[in-house]
Amino acid sequence: MEQLLHILPQSLLDGLTLGFVYAMVALGYTMIYGVMELINFAHSEVFMVGAFAGTEMLLFLQSRGYLGTMPAPVALIVALMAGILMSGTLGVLIERIAYRPIRYAPRLVPFISAIGVSFFLQDAVRLIEGLWKNAFYLTAPSLFTSVITITPGLRVPAKSLIVILAALIMMLALNIFVTRSKWGKAIRAVAQDKETASLMSINVNSVIALTFFVGGGMGGAAGTLFATQYSLIDPYIGFILGIKAFTAAVLGGIGSIPGAMVGGLLLGILESTGIVILGFATHGAIGIEYKDVLAFVILIIILIFKPGGILGEEVREKV
Amino acid sequence: MLLEARGVSKRFGGLMAIDKIDFTMEAGQIASIIGPNGAGKTTFFNMISGYYFADQGTITLDGKRLTGRSPEHVAGCGIARTFQNIRLFPGLMVLENVLVGMHRHLSANLAQIVLNTRGMRREEQRAYEEARELLIYTGLEGKEQELAKNLSYGDQRRLELARALAVKPKLLLLDEPTAGMNPRETEEMTTFIRRVRDERNIAILLIEHDMKVVMGISERITVLNYGVKIAEGTPKEIRSHSEVIAAYLGEETPEES
Amino acid sequence: MTKQKEHLFPASGMPASQLLAWVFIIGAGVLFYLLPNSAIAFIMFLASFLVLYKTPAAPLIKLPVAALWLCVIMPLAGLQNTYYLGVVTQAGIYVALAVGLNIVVGFAGLLDMGYVAFYASGAYIYSIFATTQAANFIHFPWAHFPISGMWFWPFLIFGMLIAALFGILLGFPVLRLRGDYLAIVTLGFGEIIRIVLNNLDKPINITNGPQGLTPIQAPALFGHILNQPLDYYFIVLVAILLIIIVARRLEVSRIGRAWAAMREDELAARSMGVPLVKMKLMAFAIGASFAGAMGVIFAAKQTFVDPSSFTFMESIGILAMIILGGMGNVAGAVVGAVSVVVLQLQILKQLSDYLGQLSAEGILNIPSQIDPAKYERMIFGLILILMCIYRSQGILPAKRRLASWWEQIRTRGTKKETEEGVDAARS
Repeated sequence: MEQLLHILPQSLLDGLTLGFVYAMVALGYTMIYGVMELINFAHSEVFMVGAFAGTEMLLFLQSRGYLGTMPAPVALIVALMAGILMSGTLGVLIERIAYRPIRYAPRLVPFISAIGVSFFLQDAVRLIEGLWKNAFYLTAPSLFTSVITITPGLRVPAKSLIVILAALIMMLALNIFVTRSKWGKAIRAVAQDKETASLMSINVNSVIALTFFVGGGMGGAAGTLFATQYSLIDPYIGFILGIKAFTAAVLGGIGSIPGAMVGGLLLGILESTGIVILGFATHGAIGIEYKDVLAFVILIIILIFKPGGILGEEVREKV
Repeated sequence: MLLEARGVSKRFGGLMAIDKIDFTMEAGQIASIIGPNGAGKTTFFNMISGYYFADQGTITLDGKRLTGRSPEHVAGCGIARTFQNIRLFPGLMVLENVLVGMHRHLSANLAQIVLNTRGMRREEQRAYEEARELLIYTGLEGKEQELAKNLSYGDQRRLELARALAVKPKLLLLDEPTAGMNPRETEEMTTFIRRVRDERNIAILLIEHDMKVVMGISERITVLNYGVKIAEGTPKEIRSHSEVIAAYLGEETPEES
Repeated sequence: MTKQKEHLFPASGMPASQLLAWVFIIGAGVLFYLLPNSAIAFIMFLASFLVLYKTPAAPLIKLPVAALWLCVIMPLAGLQNTYYLGVVTQAGIYVALAVGLNIVVGFAGLLDMGYVAFYASGAYIYSIFATTQAANFIHFPWAHFPISGMWFWPFLIFGMLIAALFGILLGFPVLRLRGDYLAIVTLGFGEIIRIVLNNLDKPINITNGPQGLTPIQAPALFGHILNQPLDYYFIVLVAILLIIIVARRLEVSRIGRAWAAMREDELAARSMGVPLVKMKLMAFAIGASFAGAMGVIFAAKQTFVDPSSFTFMESIGILAMIILGGMGNVAGAVVGAVSVVVLQLQILKQLSDYLGQLSAEGILNIPSQIDPAKYERMIFGLILILMCIYRSQGILPAKRRLASWWEQIRTRGTKKETEEGVDAARS
């Protein structure tokens, strides 16, 4: 028990950091689900591409010798911009190529197309990186190396704080954009009712493209932050993280932007502390290797008992 | 008493969609529910069908409780229905649509199907025959192998009826059976409904906006307004009922002629 | 079946296209028999089945040709070229899996992305007992592990039952979920099974974790040990045959109709008395049981299983097969599975060997990173996207069909007559 209390604060911090990443990725799922009623299965790869774009930008800065001379926050912002632009653009492209032609097909058709995009992108990145760097995994240069020791059991790496801070700022910005700006309102209008929105002279196609850009951009930023936090990235990092972020979106209530944020944080914390507690409770029989199982179990439980999530509404089929 | 609803209520959020309705129907009767748009007619149908659970009250068929039961159970008890916006199985053939309606009356289990037993084959052949007869009965002969989605609007309505009859119901719920039909088709449908009752002794409950159909066909009429039953009686009584007139004068008369 | 009248011997007045088809079918068979090492002959041979399927002729002619091709020409050529025999056997396992998944996805409209979990459960249930593994946790004086090869046959049934049980366990809680949510949950379930298999080497060693299980006992029949490639070819062939017959019987049965109705309009189906939960569970269980049986066969054929054979990739691969071939169509699933396996094991492999050869000879400098054989995700992805956009019904679109007696009923006389017939039959 003593030992457990020792480990818990650290795993809580890890969970929180990861939770912010989940939250940012979950935003993409939730926004796109809001306007299209589509689980954008390829969003996990949009995240992954963002991680690669951000890392490549940092590597570029490093190779030119800028990285040592410019302040770390500036380097991070440049990398984030690269991640956001790349992923946002990719999101728009995916929608244009793989979803728009089948927007009105039976709902499983675009979903299957999304799975196809996801798989295609994994290998596409692998191919491009393979041709370019002759290896398909990258190691991001570390930007923030200092570690703040609070107690011997709780060491807070500065990079975790940066992830949390950056995620907070971006989510706040997104919230302001969606609730205050004209375009944000248009997104919400389309999410409510496509037909009525189009009658109100909202260009639905542009709004959907915008949603994919904003959602994708958040995913790309999350990818970049992920790379700075965990350094090693490969084209397959999106899959599991994407499923977890989707779980977070469902946990918070799919379609709800605050829900995605709450869901992400909650899942991050539940997962990291849950597995520690389980490990103790079972004397190590269920250890860290079951971490992903825990997230899936959480997903299944929410979907069965509260499919509307914490902040979402339950929607009944119209008869 | 065939169908009996006692004090049935349903609330959607702040809206009282159905407010303590009592309703009864005899076997072999033709009855109608009328009322302005949003009066709760379809909600009431959906509650009988088991789509919504009642917040209060009970619905029974032949004394058997239906409230809280699933739609498939309700169908098994002998209630079949059609839908306001036709809901066929669009990608299935016309004959298959009817065969699905017979699901409960066929007994072949997995083993019999996998082994392709004689009994199963015989039962299926009989079902095919029966389905074909229902299609002849509803005037869809020769269209058995067409996909339901390729039928004309009128034929789709007929098919929905054939499919509902395949359930062999004691009570048939028809949600606006003449919606979107021209006067000639409406006339045919009215005749057909009466024929179904006379020949098969099936009780029929209709939701209908066309007053000519309602007054011509119904033995009893129930009027709903804002979820409340405001009148009940024979067509003659309803025609002169002051509250009904008031309810309908408040808005555009739904009658189209 | 075509609208034109079928002749038993369509020689007279046979259209040129039909003649050409027969020339192709027979030509491909003969060619592959003569040149069992030619890739073109092999692919032509496989294509000849599709041509045969599409050719309008009486089953009485088509079936013997198919049987001759599968039971004589393929084995004879396979003895010359065991690689192709292996490709065909592997393709056969995927055919069976695709037909099984097609019951869940195509017939019942339930997108199952964790199908491989059922395949894994079949494979592991046999592997654990057909290696010394079970001795780790079962200590009965009368139990000896590995069990004898005769047990392979009962284990086909156990594998089906265990997989069906898993199917029901998964199905029960998730049935009320809408299509895409169901897909994600089944995906999660598939991953859970894989992770558990990967880690169940402690506290009690049941699955031997990532090291996997080997050597797995070969099946035995009346004292003969079946461990030759040709043995597995025939086992798989019989399994496919049975699975296809079952799938086709189900398709036109009351159960198949209930599935299709549920897929088209769940609420309307329920209102016609179709019991939703029972029918969905049945689809899950039947689809799963096929995968379970194939898992047992796969384990015996490989003599080695480990969790890496049962990844999400496999589930998507099988899904890609049925989407390519045509959802809801048994023949489509077969075509899809064979095409994907041939693409992977034949075309991509040849291409990658060719590129490797060019590199080795110094003609081209191709980094090993772009070995085409490693890009199956890209292939599956492209198949899924392109099929969704351009041909979501697949190569062979599903066609509704009625049971064979419909034609008699349609042309036969009155109700009275048939009722008498039924009464007579009943008494």
